[in-house]
Amino acid sequence: MVIDLAEENGVWVGSIIIPGLDVKGAPLTDIAVRPPEVSFAVKGALGVRLKLLLDANSRMTGDFEQAGNRALTTLNKTGPPQVERPPRNTAVARELEGEWKGDYEMLGYTRQVSIKFTNRGLEGAAAEFVIVGRKHNNLPVDLVTQEGDLVVVDSHEIGISFEGRLRNGKLTGAIRQGANETPLVLERTKQQ
Amino acid sequence: MNASRIGKFYALNAQTGALKWKFATEGERRFEPKGLHGLQPKNQTIADPFDVFLSSPVVANGAVYFGSVDGNLYALDSATGDLRWKFKTGHVVHASPALADGVLFFGSWDSYFYAVDATTGKEKWRFHAGEDALIHNQVGFQSSPAVTNGVVYTGCRDANLYALDAATGKEKWRFFNDLSWVITSPAVADRKVFFATSDSSLYHVVDATTGKPVVRQQGKAYMFSSPAIAGDVVFIGVLNGTLEARDTKTGELLWDFQVETSKQNKGWVLTADRKFNTPFLYHSSWCEAPLVANDQQIRIGGIFSSPLVVNGVVYFGSTDGFLYALE
Repeated sequence: MVIDLAEENGVWVGSIIIPGLDVKGAPLTDIAVRPPEVSFAVKGALGVRLKLLLDANSRMTGDFEQAGNRALTTLNKTGPPQVERPPRNTAVARELEGEWKGDYEMLGYTRQVSIKFTNRGLEGAAAEFVIVGRKHNNLPVDLVTQEGDLVVVDSHEIGISFEGRLRNGKLTGAIRQGANETPLVLERTKQQ
Repeated sequence: MNASRIGKFYALNAQTGALKWKFATEGERRFEPKGLHGLQPKNQTIADPFDVFLSSPVVANGAVYFGSVDGNLYALDSATGDLRWKFKTGHVVHASPALADGVLFFGSWDSYFYAVDATTGKEKWRFHAGEDALIHNQVGFQSSPAVTNGVVYTGCRDANLYALDAATGKEKWRFFNDLSWVITSPAVADRKVFFATSDSSLYHVVDATTGKPVVRQQGKAYMFSSPAIAGDVVFIGVLNGTLEARDTKTGELLWDFQVETSKQNKGWVLTADRKFNTPFLYHSSWCEAPLVANDQQIRIGGIFSSPLVVNGVVYFGSTDGFLYALE
């Protein structure tokens, strides 16, 4: 496990790598540094939290907690921080702005998908990502990018992403949930 | 008498264990469609890690009956092992048959439930349950039926518990479980049907005549084990490595027993309150990760076996390799 912690303009930021759990550069949240107490959580569905005590030898010892399970953890300082920055949203092409809809089948019934892209100046694009199956799910979106014709919309917290290529007026790609991947074609809804 | 994972059916002397005869089916394997449960790659067959049971034999009237992965229900002479007849279905038969009034009742992974004359092997009727052509998740029978008062009760991986008319195969009612498989074989007592579900981990008691819910209790993990009723207590195994004793009337948990492997919880397969640690198990997007996670779930000491209660002792097996006897 590798943790990078840094104080920037009075604010603590950090990222974590846990190879065994496929976590690479995940942002840290809820960082609290009140020496000798240091605690933080890992953003995402895993629900990992660390509560540590810093000693005089630049070593932190404490609990690695997840789902009520607890393991003793010791972290040794090895060098200066290299906090991994989360990928940033890019702007999307004008032809992509607006609402796109499609559907896919999983577990024997159809789920309808709607993604609505909006450009927000320097913040890049934002997207509303909705999947309607038996429930109406408005997914929190972490990342929206467009590189050439490749468009990615990721809800890291929920573990669902869409990746597709904008070709011939359609977004053709796949929706991915964990290791499950299902083809999905999105078409622009008619303008109001 | 028992079926095996190598496609042979054996009859052994009950006193000595000596082989009396053996019979070769057309082979044995697991339910293995392409793109199972939506896993990648879709053009590759994937053995279902939850196809854990083999058909248990029914012995009656000088014959032994059992299902096979080759799609057949077999009827053999119980003394010699000679084939009397075989009935072909469209897919794997790992559910055990039930025999009542000269008729065998059983389900197949071809999405049909069958009633077959035990003497001739001729079909009397078939019932079509749900299908799932895309990812093969919501299809097939692993549950073995219970037959009482002219009604056949059976669970199905299409998430229903069915009550069928034993004479005609006509559906009397169904109880839907929101995509959760019903693998348990239902137990019927006091005009109630006792069963449990997989993913939703619910323990149910429903009215045997109407299918209306009577008791519903939230469990902690998948239940594949079939409930056993002894007096006012129902015993059921849970895949988190716990045997539960519940009150038959209320469904309330009376006591539970957790096997040692489950207590150790290596790899944090379980949460601290004994639920499956789903985010931890299924964190990876690696194609085979779900199968590895399934394997971890199964190795935690899960109780797939159905409890047997005799003289105040409950017996059950666990995937930790032990057979347990509890007072």
